[in-house]
Amino acid sequence: MPPFSPHRVLVTGVSNPLGAEVARRLAPQVPFLFGCDKVDPVSALEEMDFVHADTRLSVIGKLVRQLKIDTVVHLAVMVDSPTEERSIHETDVIGTMNVLVGCAAPSSPVRRLVVKSSAVVYGASPSDPSFFSEDMTNWDKPASGITRDLLEMEQLVSEFALRNEHCGVTVLRLGLRVSEDTTLARYLSLPIVPTFAGFDPRLQLLHEDDAAEAVVRSVIGARPGVFNVAGDGVILLSQAIGIMGGRPAPVLPPYGRWLSRLGLKALAGVEMPAHLADILSFGVVMDCTRLVSELGWRPAYSTRQTMDALASGKNVDLVEPPSPPQEYELQVFLQQRRRRRQQLPAGRN
Amino acid sequence: MIVQEAREERRRTSKKAEIVAPRQGFRLPRPIRRLQRQAPTIALRAVGELSTRLRDITGRNVIDLNRLMEVAQFVYQQRELARRGPNFMVDDFGFDPAWTESLLIAFKALYRDYWRVETTGVEHVPSSGRALLVANHAGVLPWDGTMIKTAVFTEHSRPRHVRALVASQFMGMPALSWFLRRTGQAVGHPDDTRRLLERDELVLVFPEGTRGTGKGFKDRYRLRRFGRGGFVSTAIRAQAPIIPISVVGSEEIYPMLADLGPVARLFGLPYFPLTPFWPWLGPLGLIPLPSKWRIQFHAPIEVSHLDPKDADDQHLVMAMADDVRDIIQRGLYENLKLRRGVFL
Repeated sequence: MPPFSPHRVLVTGVSNPLGAEVARRLAPQVPFLFGCDKVDPVSALEEMDFVHADTRLSVIGKLVRQLKIDTVVHLAVMVDSPTEERSIHETDVIGTMNVLVGCAAPSSPVRRLVVKSSAVVYGASPSDPSFFSEDMTNWDKPASGITRDLLEMEQLVSEFALRNEHCGVTVLRLGLRVSEDTTLARYLSLPIVPTFAGFDPRLQLLHEDDAAEAVVRSVIGARPGVFNVAGDGVILLSQAIGIMGGRPAPVLPPYGRWLSRLGLKALAGVEMPAHLADILSFGVVMDCTRLVSELGWRPAYSTRQTMDALASGKNVDLVEPPSPPQEYELQVFLQQRRRRRQQLPAGRN
Repeated sequence: MIVQEAREERRRTSKKAEIVAPRQGFRLPRPIRRLQRQAPTIALRAVGELSTRLRDITGRNVIDLNRLMEVAQFVYQQRELARRGPNFMVDDFGFDPAWTESLLIAFKALYRDYWRVETTGVEHVPSSGRALLVANHAGVLPWDGTMIKTAVFTEHSRPRHVRALVASQFMGMPALSWFLRRTGQAVGHPDDTRRLLERDELVLVFPEGTRGTGKGFKDRYRLRRFGRGGFVSTAIRAQAPIIPISVVGSEEIYPMLADLGPVARLFGLPYFPLTPFWPWLGPLGLIPLPSKWRIQFHAPIEVSHLDPKDADDQHLVMAMADDVRDIIQRGLYENLKLRRGVFL
């Protein structure tokens, strides 16, 4: 197969911080960049063409065919989100199904698909080995909400990859991220952090920069397959809390996690999803050797450095402050002008 | 006078000097503070004096100064470790070597004074490179693992940490999972064994698993089935020599008379033992009996002549597992003969 270079790229879910950063990094590297989401993007509008489209509707298939998209970067996958489980299921499973259906038609122009997944797909439990490699997803285990959704989603993607051999599919299982707005980061930055008594799990983190870089690299350097993406090394939960300047308080009972989650929500105002409660007692650590050997790239930040970066407030703020209305108008104007300018030379030829 | 002022001024504006805020609040008077500083030295001197006097009077070593120094060292080390805060490194398995070594003083006391462990053949353990240690498993709680770890760390010419593999149900228990991970244990999963061996570690496995620890007192020193020989195939794949270990003495620490299966199932435990002391005496029943221990490391069984593909040869694997089992069983009988009595 001749080396394929992406020409017309569609990024779904550009309005989330990771999507915005990926779009910003992809913009200088690909000729045509389109983004879609159901809410307006807060940044990176200038470099791409934004389409207001919901992945849960079949409009995405029409979009792909109309725009002759050859590379789809599917980032509209919710993992850490305050919304209720039902809508996460809708977005992750039904949304992905729609995107796949849109790409699957025999006449489809799509040649590459990059799907974002998460380390949560492994689901933390004590009977698991210390490291997860890519083939260790647990199908026979009763998985909790998001884990089950992600497993279902990945199964759809792998079925798609089997049926459409002309399309190279990459699945990135991103490690836990601690930027300012994730649940884990908010939990770790509490002054007194309630932890599960008797547990001090290993944490493996991924810096936001590395997450975006991993997506961009898998779009450009086409390598189909499933990849674990996370920083080198691990830190213990107590270390992470110490780095953030907090104090671990082992007050949550080790059994009956849902009760602890209720208590946390009532007392500390932190809503801890079920998968995070499992991770905070047993930990999820992935084996990222395939990423290094096949993509030839290793995340720049180790787990420890990611934590230090968060603690010193140097973690790059991906979300620019929401622009005031005038600025939005200005950006729309700039985009239209840019399009007009692109159309002019085409008309002359 | 003027010169002095200038010096004061310079000191105040100097960038080099660290600015230390004056301590707020109540401070003890100076002589008491000095006394506080010197207290450990004075105490040590007093204890030394006392021990010589007592020796002169009674003619025996009443206070063992070495032992006291060890306790002092233990306390000091714990304080130092607490001071490092989050600034320490654990390996990918969550192993904290400095912390583990600080606890070794306590385990050394058990090893030397409580169970009076006699270790032979520790020179069979390689001073570098990988090896798979295979031992018999007995006693209700895995004290035999801690004693093998202590034996290799204290008796070997080059102290090394042994990484034991633990049944996954213990990894799900609060406190225990934290302690096991922190002291370098991993989950008893072929994948973990392979990874540890590839890092050239010493890996300790108990192929009997909870079948060994949960057997009754009447079955003592009779080895159970050695799993399905998974440890042999892992050793062949990783090209690691197998070192069989016979541990005598661990069977008598908790003589298990009966197993209450339903209670065990209620708490999610592999077995619930009834011993002469547990659960009748409450937490006191958890104190192991001071039996006399012997640990023998046997000569390594080399697997370097085998091809990694031989690991799939089930016949060869089972035969090798049986060989290892025979060596350990014979070692048990020999060491039982060498032991004068259960508690001597």
